[in-house]
Amino acid sequence: MNAPQEARRFGSGRAVRRIEDPALVQGQGRFTDDLAPAGELFMAFVRSTHAHGRIVAIDVGTALAMPGVVAVYTGADLLASGILPIATAPAFKRADGQPMAAPPKRALAEGYVRFVGEALVAVVADSRAAARAAADAVVADIEDLPMLTDPHRALAPGAPVIWAGAPDNICAEMRHGNAAATAAAFERAAHHIRLDLVNQRLAPSPMEPRSVLASFEDGRLTVNLSSQMPSAVRGGLVDTIPGLKTEAVRVLVGDVGGGFGMKTGIYPEDIAVAWAALQLGRPVKWQAERVEEFLSAVHGRDVISQAEMALDADGRVLALRVRSLANVGAYPSTTSVAIQLLIGPWVTTSVYDIPVVDVHVTAVLTNLAHTGAYRGAGRPEAIYITERLMDAAARELGLDPAELRRRNMVRPSQMPYRNAMGQTYDSGQFESMLDQGLALADWTGFAARRDASRTAGKLRGRGIATFLEWTGGNALEENVTVQVTADGFIELTSATQAMGQGIATSYAQLAVDVFGVPIDRIRVLQGDTDRASGFGSAGSRSLFTGGAAVHVASEKTIAVSKQLAADTLEAPAADIEYAAGRFSVAGTDLGVGLFELAAQQPAARIVVAAGSTAGGPSWPNGCHICEVEVDPATGEVQVVAYASVNDIGRIVSPTLVRGQVEGGAVQGFGQALCEQVAYDPDSGQLLSASFMDYALPHADGFRDFKTAFDTSVPCLTNALGAKGVGELGTIGATPALVNAVVDALAHGMDGAGLGSDAERLQMPLTGERVWRALHGDFGAPVFG
Amino acid sequence: MPLLRLNVNGRPVQTEVEPQTLLVELLRGPLGLTGTHVGCDTSQCGACTVLVDGTSVKSCSMLALQAAGRSVTTVEGLARADGTLHPVQEAFIACHGLQCGFCTPGMMMAATCLLQVNPQPSDDQIADALEGNLCRCTGYVNIVSAVRQAATVMNAEGA
Repeated sequence: MNAPQEARRFGSGRAVRRIEDPALVQGQGRFTDDLAPAGELFMAFVRSTHAHGRIVAIDVGTALAMPGVVAVYTGADLLASGILPIATAPAFKRADGQPMAAPPKRALAEGYVRFVGEALVAVVADSRAAARAAADAVVADIEDLPMLTDPHRALAPGAPVIWAGAPDNICAEMRHGNAAATAAAFERAAHHIRLDLVNQRLAPSPMEPRSVLASFEDGRLTVNLSSQMPSAVRGGLVDTIPGLKTEAVRVLVGDVGGGFGMKTGIYPEDIAVAWAALQLGRPVKWQAERVEEFLSAVHGRDVISQAEMALDADGRVLALRVRSLANVGAYPSTTSVAIQLLIGPWVTTSVYDIPVVDVHVTAVLTNLAHTGAYRGAGRPEAIYITERLMDAAARELGLDPAELRRRNMVRPSQMPYRNAMGQTYDSGQFESMLDQGLALADWTGFAARRDASRTAGKLRGRGIATFLEWTGGNALEENVTVQVTADGFIELTSATQAMGQGIATSYAQLAVDVFGVPIDRIRVLQGDTDRASGFGSAGSRSLFTGGAAVHVASEKTIAVSKQLAADTLEAPAADIEYAAGRFSVAGTDLGVGLFELAAQQPAARIVVAAGSTAGGPSWPNGCHICEVEVDPATGEVQVVAYASVNDIGRIVSPTLVRGQVEGGAVQGFGQALCEQVAYDPDSGQLLSASFMDYALPHADGFRDFKTAFDTSVPCLTNALGAKGVGELGTIGATPALVNAVVDALAHGMDGAGLGSDAERLQMPLTGERVWRALHGDFGAPVFG
Repeated sequence: MPLLRLNVNGRPVQTEVEPQTLLVELLRGPLGLTGTHVGCDTSQCGACTVLVDGTSVKSCSMLALQAAGRSVTTVEGLARADGTLHPVQEAFIACHGLQCGFCTPGMMMAATCLLQVNPQPSDDQIADALEGNLCRCTGYVNIVSAVRQAATVMNAEGA
């Protein structure tokens, strides 16, 4: 095999080994907590043990006098130093027209505490142990105030008030669609489906806890941390710390041990660490303990909904009506509100041609921790609601759930299709995805499998989700700087951020396509705000925005270099050809190597920057089908089959996208079956504060995935034709699995199951909950 | 401070440690072996798994002093002296058994221990052996495949 062919084996569309892996499997990763600069100090936080209270006094005297303690900061100290709260953009409104109501979110609580785990005092000491011990010696006198955890209760007259700025506890609300037209559709509907549904609160739980190391040297603040959005962290520090200028801050991100949306934007703790480093002139580090992650990292989901679907006699969906309360905790952010008020509703009609909707979402303040992005962020909630309604409708109409979906799908001829929320899908062949999914799952062979399960004493059910999602975060521009170096490397610098998804490998493959050099010649540099600033990585945007920029910048680099080669070779640029790392004059044996050419430049390198802007979001979509067995004796649910067909447009890294879909699906199983952030409603204490109480999926769960991709429908909004992939698994898996359990219980052992009563099932479908449902106990009403 | 003598990745180590120092703290701190990670406070996640005398141990649940006179192997000690990767490391790369890589060292150490005890494990036995190691990225699909592949390679090498 010659060299160009060899290089192309590592180009896009090829299954390659990740360039990230050799370091990671040898323990040579660089996670933030691996850094240990000389003279570093350690921060520990005192956190509120009260769900709601007034800070009467904080005594730090004992803590300050303890060995090794260097400094202790309270919220009052930071306020006196002029540290500002984290800003919320006034993007959302309350019904009265006032801007979104959210109490000031400060680095350390000042005046009041509003959830268990809120950072109250920061202690800095010369060892982790000393900092922790001193934190334990801080005495906080807090006067309890009435508290609440439930968003429905929060709206009742006379409910405790979380923040004086919002006496009704409403943060913001939005009403979408056409209420009158929807009401008219329900009037004439042959079928009216209603479900109350819970999307419970989840802990994203990347395995690497948050970690921050700040140092102040020569007038510059350097912050190393585990983040998906280095530039946003820089912005957050500049916005909150008085006198700090953007150019005086450098944010560095090394390896990130998982993000899932949880490591987007700035956290209060980041500000406290940075401030201490500025004050003390020594490196200060904070590594979150896992309990702190459960208490104070953002949670995901937490929405309760009254959902209704109107259908005609033939099973055509006429309208959707959804009333949701989003429990955004005590300190909502613009992001947490956007996820529920906008992003979820955008996909609520999903792959279906539903003419009209009436969606009303209210973000409610409670004494819980903040919510934020978690893999899917709004779309899993919305798709779960729509897919549960679809199955309930199919049951009522006596139709195959796949057939009901088919009757309602947006047709390829309708593309570009504008949905009832005003969102435009560029591409999608949803019925084809459905057909491929049904074939992969052997949909028609289900009856025999159900019989076999019954023989084994198990209830078998199947569930389907056909769905799409919106990706890109509406941040559609990316820039990439290419540097060709004299020592033989092509460096790609991007402000998008690796967090474990393998984006560096995908970028390298795209560069190999253009440069035709071996993949080990490509280096990807990320996580340094001195070298690149931008949105970062969230919303499944990195490949279709940043990857497109890699492609464009690489091609521009060839074009620029061609001119340099023409100068060197004293030939017209039009006669210069490029292949596999070498420029040559057509029809001669004259030539110069790309890296040799770089060495000849004044700076011994060729530097080219270029960008790309996608024309819109991407709309990845799929058909996910799950089969379960339920043990009627215990209520335990086992996933026994999972087939999915996914349209993510053009595929750059086949191995990686499969890993994204299947790993994401297991996270989706987690929501369906076992995960729940639980608070005690009477005290606001967090009950699920460790991996003993918060149940992540373990290795003994389902792994036998059938996963397929249809690459015949490229995205039309970006140069690559790629669609996002990172969130597809969580979005599809949760409704597919829950629908399967509902089906199992509705059907029962011999068709004598719970029938439509099974629709009352709510996540997580633990053995206990399913067992109780089998015995007629569905728990308290959702809107109790 | 008590003096501690032990062997780490084939090299003798002699150091003073506080009695309350955890093995993981010794490894990550004074010994600079940061490939062993800390992902929780309750011995659930397994990111800190190392081998002590060949048996997998969560190094957050053992005092450094308890390792006195014993041999500790961390992820940094998995590859051969000439740099050739251990079959388990090779298989994790080949099977895409890692995404963020944070749980990976602990996963590989637990897998290495399993394959010493049971050179031909079934998939269920692999999953069972990794029950104490959490991964949030992969859904464990490719981790179990990687361990299976490593077993195949190691058996072929040993044959």
